[in-house]
Amino acid sequence: MSNYIVYLEQLEGLFAGWQEKYKLFVPQEKEGFYFLEEYSPEAEISFDYDLLYNPPKSFIFPPREDLIEFDLKTYKSKPLFTVSPQILFGLHPYDIKALNQLDQVMDMGSVDVNYRQRRDNTIIMGLTPLRVCPEAFWGSVNAFNVDFGFDLFWTKIGPATFLVEVGSKKGEELLFVNGRVDKATSAEREVARRKKQEIVSLVQKQNRLKYSWEEVPRVLEKSFDSFLWAEKSRKCLACGSCNLICPTCYCFDILDEVDDKLNKGKRYRTWDGCMLESFAKIAGGHNFRGRAAERYRHRYFRKGKYIYDMLGELGCVGCGRCVRVCTARIANPLEVFNVLWEALSYER
Amino acid sequence: MSKPKVAFFDFAGCEGDQLQIANLEERILDIASHVEIVSFREVKTGHSDDYEIAFVEGSITRYEDEERIKEIRSRAKILIALGACATIGGINCLKNFLNEQEYKNMVYGPWARYYSTYAARPVSAVVPVDGEIHGCPIDKEEFVEVVKSLLLGKKYTPPDYPVCVECKKAGNICQFERGRLCLGIITRAGCGGVCVSRGSVCWGCRGPAPSANLDAAREVMDEHGFSWVEVEDRLRLYLGHFLKFN
Amino acid sequence: MKDKFSPYVPRVATLKAKKKLSDFVTLFEFAQDNGKPLAHRPGQFIQLSLFGIGEAPFSITSPPRSDHHHFEIAVRKIGTVTTALHNLEVGAKVGVRGPYGSYFPMHKFVEQDVLFVAGGLGFIPLRSLLNYMLRHRDEYGRIMVLVGTRNPKERIFIDQIEEMKKRTDVEVLETVDSPDETWKGNVGVITTLLPKVKIEPESTYVAMVGPPVMYKFVINECKKIGIDEKRIYVSLERRMKCGLGKCGHCQINGINCCVDGPVFCYTEIASLEEAI
Repeated sequence: MSNYIVYLEQLEGLFAGWQEKYKLFVPQEKEGFYFLEEYSPEAEISFDYDLLYNPPKSFIFPPREDLIEFDLKTYKSKPLFTVSPQILFGLHPYDIKALNQLDQVMDMGSVDVNYRQRRDNTIIMGLTPLRVCPEAFWGSVNAFNVDFGFDLFWTKIGPATFLVEVGSKKGEELLFVNGRVDKATSAEREVARRKKQEIVSLVQKQNRLKYSWEEVPRVLEKSFDSFLWAEKSRKCLACGSCNLICPTCYCFDILDEVDDKLNKGKRYRTWDGCMLESFAKIAGGHNFRGRAAERYRHRYFRKGKYIYDMLGELGCVGCGRCVRVCTARIANPLEVFNVLWEALSYER
Repeated sequence: MSKPKVAFFDFAGCEGDQLQIANLEERILDIASHVEIVSFREVKTGHSDDYEIAFVEGSITRYEDEERIKEIRSRAKILIALGACATIGGINCLKNFLNEQEYKNMVYGPWARYYSTYAARPVSAVVPVDGEIHGCPIDKEEFVEVVKSLLLGKKYTPPDYPVCVECKKAGNICQFERGRLCLGIITRAGCGGVCVSRGSVCWGCRGPAPSANLDAAREVMDEHGFSWVEVEDRLRLYLGHFLKFN
Repeated sequence: MKDKFSPYVPRVATLKAKKKLSDFVTLFEFAQDNGKPLAHRPGQFIQLSLFGIGEAPFSITSPPRSDHHHFEIAVRKIGTVTTALHNLEVGAKVGVRGPYGSYFPMHKFVEQDVLFVAGGLGFIPLRSLLNYMLRHRDEYGRIMVLVGTRNPKERIFIDQIEEMKKRTDVEVLETVDSPDETWKGNVGVITTLLPKVKIEPESTYVAMVGPPVMYKFVINECKKIGIDEKRIYVSLERRMKCGLGKCGHCQINGINCCVDGPVFCYTEIASLEEAI
């Protein structure tokens, strides 16, 4: 697809044009952390953010989502879809990869209609990272580059210049909302390529998986009975933070709520997590993952093996959010994958 | 079907939980249309001993309280503890870390010997309770939820996971990242992480989550640089009863 | 916006009959308001909704019938939904999603012997298959039914089991773990019944459902007799929530019990550490 050049001063006009039809979310700083917040002309856009504090999945798979509406008397019910068109501007490649993965699992088998609705109404605009957060390791898990899953992809190639790759027809239309923009020259494309390369080597220098990511499933396979699970999970607070903050986690619970008059109600789903104690507990009280070690292991297997078995890629994109958010500091997948691998090579 | 009769009672506490219910304002009319309130000091005058559902606020701190709560228990088909003082003993349990003479003198001075009072305890330490609405004060939405559950014949079970879950759903910045001590890591959720969402930290008013890992939490707080005294002070604020008996 | 399809919208069904099976378990008969049969296969489950209370998975205990729209579930009063369900009166409405999940391969069982191993409430899902086979009795070889219960008070479907004991075309053996004064039959765990039936391993399929602890022991016994792993079918219980393979609650290692199960051939789960 084509590449274009957009100058910083053109942005405000573009954003205003988009906002006529879309809700526009851009990275902004708040108390030293970065969030995808709604754009306003006064907003300061953090093009150089290192990591969005919250995973972008919340825009497509919100923490709470209504599924159906029902009537307690007649027992009639109907589906609920609350969707408005939105643009997520400035997602890093690893976060786009996470969304691509959600797309696949949600569409697999029985299509998740609520997810699909939101996804179809969402425009994704990627952005080449300019900085790396200390916890990130996306350079090691094949998440430093995406070639689909975005409508436009932005790379800052100069102080006030962006190279924009087009990922979809819709994206191109949005780019031309105020008239055509300049095509990128091959020299400019080369600058963008180098910018991407630079940041990848930076993240790879910082945190690195000691072996190829494709080996992770096999390492886990041999480590089901490892001592590590019990040792690490001893400190687990069963708070589920690592699940909820994860851009690829999508487990949920389904609950009912009724109005004060007890006539009508809604059934909604809400984020859940396999690290929470009663996640696999059934009505009789039996818990199929009753021990912290079992739950802890399940999370890593899900990230490193089960998703791989389904899709051929890791369920971890190396964003580093779980590393940051775990107060007990036991949620680092890179560390666990490395330690298990070392333990295996030691045994050999 | 006749409307269930509801009564409110208070023991050692500030009645702040009943105030929360009064704060429901016009919504209370919809809720109340399904029940008959026979006793509710903060909202109406009069009292009746004929009730099926009793909401009990406050902790048990005297021998006389025990008799009264047993009496309430014997009349009520369903007894629900309302608020931290009633569900976990609450801040009243701070005194449990002192000996009886100490706190009596501290509070009543020369008149100490005229007052009978003992270590504060939650309602469930004296009589069986059928449900608990946690919090200091309670979350009025949760109160409404409990009442609706009762009317629908559904057992209300508060979340059994820590507040962290609700903070993550709310998109809050973790207070530990700001270097602040927060008890959300062990406290039962259900409040929506309201204190953290408003810029404060979790004080633990909903009591420990059933899955709370207190040993690990102590270790974690230590690793984050909080002293034993800081941690213990914070834990004692609401979890006095729990600490003493676990 | 026009109403779009959502798999979360349940169909309406009406409670037609309630029958107490034991102190804890009740049989519920429902009819779909749309007049259509449930179109399930033995071993599948439904998600049953009580609006405002919630949704819970139940295995269907009645055999598939294309000729009428009634179906049955048997429920132990144990959680929020099941308690509310017990309080329902005949004529009440419920919501139904499904049937979901895998089922016993009835086509493979044709002209073969089938050994049923039912521990406790495991008889509920097995009854669907059993009653289907009894209705088409000629198509199958021997039908052997082993029933194990914790104690005589918890026995369910007693009438049916006693009636089957009188039949000559079904071999039924029953045991309880801990007897009381009323109990005259076998005593011991369900595996103690296996040596009492003469099984021809080459022509026998096994269908077993029971509490989590049961599987390992029974499967070992079956293998000792010489039954091939390929001929052993189990149904596993997990916390199915969405029934669509999304929500993650029923995961056994990497598979979803609600879509890939609940009925598995033993070979499918032999290598899954979390399965049994």
